Amino acid sequence: MYAERHTAFDTAHPLVPAVYATITIGLTMFAFQPVLIVISLAGGLLYECVYDGPRATVMSLRWQLPFILIVALVNPLFSASGSTELFRLGPRAVYLESLCYGCAMGGLFVASVLWFRGAAHLVPFDRVMTLLGNAAPTIALMISMSMRLIPRFVRQGKLVAAVQDVAAACAGHERSVNTGARDAVASRLRLSTVLMGWTMEDSLETADAMRARGWRADIRRTTYSRFRFTLLDALRIVVLVLAGCLCGAIAAAATGQYAFYPRMSELVLWWGYVPYAAWMLVPGVLHVREEARCQ
Amino acid sequence: MKSDVCAAATAVPAIEMRDLSFSYAGAKKPVLRDLSWRVEQGAFALLVGGTGSGKSTLLSLCKPGITPAGTRTGSVEVLGAPVEALDTAASARSVGYVFQNPENQIVCESVWHELAFGLENLGTPQGEMRRLIAETSYFFGIDDWFRSDTATLSGGRKQLLALASTLVMQPRVLLLDEPTAQLDPIAEKNFLHALFRVHRELGCTVIVATHRPQPMVDYATCAFELADGRVSRVANLAALREQPRIDVAGDAACGERASSPASEKLGHAVELCRAWFRYGRREPWIVRNMDLAVREGCIHALVGGNGCGKSTLLALMAGVQRLQRGTLRVTSKARALLPQDPRALFMADTVRDELMEWADRGAYDEADASRALARVGLSDSEALHPYDLSGGQQQLLALAKLLLLKPRLLLLDEPTKGLDIDARRRVASVLRTVRADGVTVIMASHDLDFVQQVADEISMVFDGEVACTAPREEFFQGNVYYRP
Repeated sequence: MYAERHTAFDTAHPLVPAVYATITIGLTMFAFQPVLIVISLAGGLLYECVYDGPRATVMSLRWQLPFILIVALVNPLFSASGSTELFRLGPRAVYLESLCYGCAMGGLFVASVLWFRGAAHLVPFDRVMTLLGNAAPTIALMISMSMRLIPRFVRQGKLVAAVQDVAAACAGHERSVNTGARDAVASRLRLSTVLMGWTMEDSLETADAMRARGWRADIRRTTYSRFRFTLLDALRIVVLVLAGCLCGAIAAAATGQYAFYPRMSELVLWWGYVPYAAWMLVPGVLHVREEARCQ
Repeated sequence: MKSDVCAAATAVPAIEMRDLSFSYAGAKKPVLRDLSWRVEQGAFALLVGGTGSGKSTLLSLCKPGITPAGTRTGSVEVLGAPVEALDTAASARSVGYVFQNPENQIVCESVWHELAFGLENLGTPQGEMRRLIAETSYFFGIDDWFRSDTATLSGGRKQLLALASTLVMQPRVLLLDEPTAQLDPIAEKNFLHALFRVHRELGCTVIVATHRPQPMVDYATCAFELADGRVSRVANLAALREQPRIDVAGDAACGERASSPASEKLGHAVELCRAWFRYGRREPWIVRNMDLAVREGCIHALVGGNGCGKSTLLALMAGVQRLQRGTLRVTSKARALLPQDPRALFMADTVRDELMEWADRGAYDEADASRALARVGLSDSEALHPYDLSGGQQQLLALAKLLLLKPRLLLLDEPTKGLDIDARRRVASVLRTVRADGVTVIMASHDLDFVQQVADEISMVFDGEVACTAPREEFFQGNVYYRP
């Protein structure tokens, strides 16, 4: 049965979390500076932790940490720049700067993935539809339809494959037939033929059902949208955009004065990290508040 | 809510057809000939007739947007207005249409969007749309699953949703084409009850085309029969209530066989012992601690509600899925699985090519294929495309195709779903001949008429276990609710 998850911006117009998610992903992807990456990563992890629970977060660390490590180790092989030579690997020198650059790259990638996932929680699919539905009803409908068709296609494909396999095994029982790679390819080709025929046939009926309910009636489509854009929402967006600009300026300043090569710039304590961290913590904190409110 | 407008307008019939003829594009003979038909407003009318008699075509003529390609002569009027005068929007507002297949007529991925779809098309203002959707949801009790994904709904709920999302546009005439053919008996009753309320409480004119009128007779106010391209009124509604005879010839032979001492000695074709199965680690058990033995050379039916695990059992027996715990013993590895939708098997352009697809693997030739076609009575259709066959013919073709592989164990999932009485008889006779060859048949079915008249043994599956297994005579004697 359908279970609704409550999270940050639960009661706001979907545009509000959409603005937040867009700015956050933008900041994360473009702020290539170690401290900012760590802050973004921490914010993303915190949100995932409060949303999915610590267990799921630890489980996802199982691929995230090795991934950062691999990128860190692979980077020196491709870019042999820097000034602090650690050791030589055959003819190539491995520099500390290059290793750190790889680490930062890996961290940035993982943080981006985390925030994309966070965005999916913050703006769930039906809210995306609401946003789209007002602007481009036909596109919204197309997305809605494909969301319905794809799992169905997969389900039918599995069924066709199962039936074919059973039939093949039945025939093979009588006579030993060599089922090599060529047969396997042929059978999957056959599967797609069957699926095409089946789906086309079904879609004819769907088209009829759509026409029967007035599809393409040459009237401007309206939408059933449950979200209202209030003054408060406008206010929230203004605040988010202003704060986002501040964070963008901070990120630009921090990234601009930092360099990995030839020697890594020194990191100092700076007031600018505080608002940036505050920004990244917003969904985690709001989620906890939302949960507390429900109880 | 039965409005005065409706009562005042009863002089205008809901549907009136005069001297109507229709032939499909490219066909020589017309499917409907000089037909006249009148349905009064406020009626709950049944339109009976076999598959291919033109019921769907007749209904679709009332909605120009979905009429098949062809030529029509004569007049069709809906609520006093000729259908040509109705544009898409006007037609959607006045005439609702519910199709047979719940899977295909659902357009959107969530329930709320599906309900809104028609109103969105008609450009209904948001305030009015919300009111209509709220009202309709309450009327059908959809409010509990309003935010669900349509993919997660059962077939019965999908069909109810299709009805609701048509009625939300407030049509005054509702046409339904075999609306319950794909549903199990319980879901069918639910759907019909909702339909009855639509008729009684909303005063909507309801016309249902069906080849199986028995469950609907109690609700109907009149019935028409479509045969040989003409509509005639059925004088005696009660006559439609009779249980159809599916098994005409083989009855006696079957009884003998089941009770003969020889068959008692036969072994078991399939044996499940303390079987457990689930689809994923977090999923519930579908099969829990199940014991089941199917005798060799017997037609064994599995009955039970939707989602009780019948199809899963067939997949297990076919070797598509594996048990997590317990044992499954299948005597012969030569088995074939026929899924609910025979189209899962079709890939060729003609019926003949379809049968020859597995000729190499199955070591059979053209002559075998011709015999197989003759056995299911499709010899005339050799050159047709499989998709141009009727539902029943498709089922028979799929059966013939599988039988060419000479399986010793035939697994059928809902072999009579949506089939008319003629096609069911054919399937029954094929199953009998197959059994005479010593093949074991296991079928999952909702069609209790069919099960009662064709199966040797019946098991009721409930909650992942077998609630009871009995020879068919005993099985239905003992059942209080679960009977045809």
